[in-house]
Parts: sequence; C-alpha cells; structure tokens
Amino acid sequence: MKTASAQAGRRKRFDRVVAVMHADMYRFATWLSRDPAIAEDVVQEAMLRAWKSLDALRDDSAAKQWLLTIVRRENARYFERKRLETVDIDNLTASQSAMLAETDDAQLDEVRKAIFRLDDDYREPLVLQVLMGYSTEEIADLMDIRQGAVLTRLHRARNKLKDVFESEELRNRD
Amino acid sequence: MQCDEYRELIAATPSGLSAGAAEHAAQCSACDAYRRSMQSLDQLISRALNIDIPELAMPELADIDGLSNVVSLPLRRVAAPVWLGLAASIAVVSVLAVRFLANDAVYPSLSEEIVAHLDHEPGALRVTTEAISAERLESVIGERARMDSNAGLISYARSCVINGHTVPHLVIQGESGPVTVLLLPDEMIDAAVPLEGEGIRGVILPVGNGSIAIIGERDEPLEVIEKRVVDSVQWKT
Repeated sequence: MKTASAQAGRRKRFDRVVAVMHADMYRFATWLSRDPAIAEDVVQEAMLRAWKSLDALRDDSAAKQWLLTIVRRENARYFERKRLETVDIDNLTASQSAMLAETDDAQLDEVRKAIFRLDDDYREPLVLQVLMGYSTEEIADLMDIRQGAVLTRLHRARNKLKDVFESEELRNRD
Repeated sequence: MQCDEYRELIAATPSGLSAGAAEHAAQCSACDAYRRSMQSLDQLISRALNIDIPELAMPELADIDGLSNVVSLPLRRVAAPVWLGLAASIAVVSVLAVRFLANDAVYPSLSEEIVAHLDHEPGALRVTTEAISAERLESVIGERARMDSNAGLISYARSCVINGHTVPHLVIQGESGPVTVLLLPDEMIDAAVPLEGEGIRGVILPVGNGSIAIIGERDEPLEVIEKRVVDSVQWKT
C-alpha cells in the first residue's frame, strides 16, 4: 500500500496540476457538448480518469493538453453511451437555454448563439484557439487532424461568425 | 502574397502574422481593414466563449495503491451483465469458474476479470512513441511465449495475475490509443469471446492451447492488431 505521505504527495500533485484546470475543463466541455449539465458530468468523469492515470503524466507542463484530451474522450463516450440526438436549436434544454441567456450586450448574445450553432468540426478548433490559447499545430495534435485541416476549419468558422458580427454592427448603427 | 491568400490566413489566425502577411497588410488598405475587423471579431468571440462558471464540485478521489497499481475505486468499466450477453450470442466458453483477484474480488467470468483488470493498470493507458526494450519484453514473456517484432510498438509489459495465473500484460500503441494484450497460455477456449466495457471493446481469441485477450478504445480498428499479435506469438511448451 502506498504510504500516507506518498498518497498526500500524489494528492498535492493532482491539486497543483489538475484541480487548477477545473474551470478550463468545464468551459471546454460546455462548448464541446453545448450543454452545461452534460459538461458537469463529463468533467467529473474526466477528473476521476485523470486521478487514476496521474502517474501516466510524465511532464506536468503537458497537463493542460493531457486533460483536454481526456475531456474530449469522455465527451465522446458520454454521447456514445447516451445516444443523444444532435442539438435542436429550437428546442433547447433548460441548461442549454441558461448558457444562451441574454445579457445587456445584444451583439455578444448573437455571436454566442452563432458559435453555439456552429458544427462541432468548426466550433471545437475555434474554442481551442481562442479560449484555450492553442496554436494551430497544437490543435492539430489534440484533434488528431492535419494542421491544414485546422486552418481551414478556423477560417470557415470565423467567416460564418463574421456575417453575424457585421449584421449586428449594422443594426446597432441604425 | 495575394489578397485571397492573406484573408484566408487572417481568418484562421487573426493574431499571428508572418513577415509576408505583414508586408501585404502594409500595402493593401482593404486587407488591413479586414485584419482589424477579424481582430475585433476575435475579441467578441473571446468574450462570448468566456461563459460564467457555476460552483464546480470535485469528485471523491479514493487513494491509489502505487505499488501494485490497484485502484481502490469501485469497478466502473464492466457493462453488466457482460456474461449474459455472451451466453446469448457467442459459443460457450470452455472454462466458467469463479475467478479471484489478488485482492479477493470475485468475478463470475474470465471476460469480466479481464475488463476489470484494465482499471487496475493506469500506467497501461499511456500514449507514447517509446517502445520497451527487447530485454524487458523477454523478461516478462520469456517463460511462456515467443513474440516477434511484427506485433507493433510495444510500450508496456508487466506480469499480472489473471484467474490465479501470472500472465504477460502488454500494451501496443494503436491508432486511437493504447491497446492492451494479455497473453493467456493457460486459458483454453473454444471460440472467440467479445469483451465490452465503458468506452472500450475487445476480444479473447483462442490461440492453440491458450488464448490472447486484446482490448482497445471503442473506435480502434482492432482486427488489424488482432491478426498481427496472433501471428507474432508462439507458446513455449
């Protein structure tokens, strides 16, 4: 059996490397699943998996990428297990509606809804780049696709959002 | 650089500018305006993505036994009832005895014990490009089997107890992640037995007087690895 001090050391490492990422993991999971309630479940499972596999993480500086990979896999498993339908934008759950609750900034609200409506293939690299700060090369590694594919998806994602952004700007001027 | 090329690059990476792109923006006011517009959009995207975080609860984290890598969490991977599903659809496994782990847990079937065993080896879940040495592999499998190099990149090898027998537990790096291979020279079965767990799938394959269990992520194309492994293993009598 591991000694008490070894267990405590392991727990400290977990707190230092994993627990600090809790909020980032939740935000990432929320934008992957488009449902805060699902994201909470996914992140709980991801935390447990990270706890069990902590010894497999050789380099603490790689923790963020390791954890987001675990979140991606847990999200995929969740949807596979539950066989959930794709999101119906006209019939949101209470938790999805809360995610898109209106603020005082109509332009922000419209862009948030537009990001929500993006296909998974476009939304995920955008979240990884803008929210998580990854380079296109790092995103390619994380998503296991070519860097060229990442660039294409980002470019298409932004062009879709640009139309929304520009129409809101016009509305605000009028 | 042409305007189309510049705008594609900026739409993909609004904040990253190569020397060539910067030069184009300095010479083309329309593209420079496009860049500023994209950067404004990105600020808005960043604000939109930064949703409020509710109070997040940490899960209960049970202590881990580091020496034997046994996880003291309740078994989560076994999709119940695996043995019922197997009995309904697959040829009868020749051995149906009660299985014991070193920590006295009891499993009704070899397949359940194998699936549960994966939860006890977090070190086997590592994704890596580093192969273990030939000496290490030989020290783990040498008494019971020979294995040639065609099986794939073997990144992990240790001896584990399955059904009271010490068996080689190997990990081969697959397309979707690590693939566990358990060499079971003492487990003779009549026909292949599928394995199912949360997010994983696999099979126990009859090989001569023994069998080999191969388990990977659900989307792993296991059939390729199965053939390579079975072709590469020879039991030592």
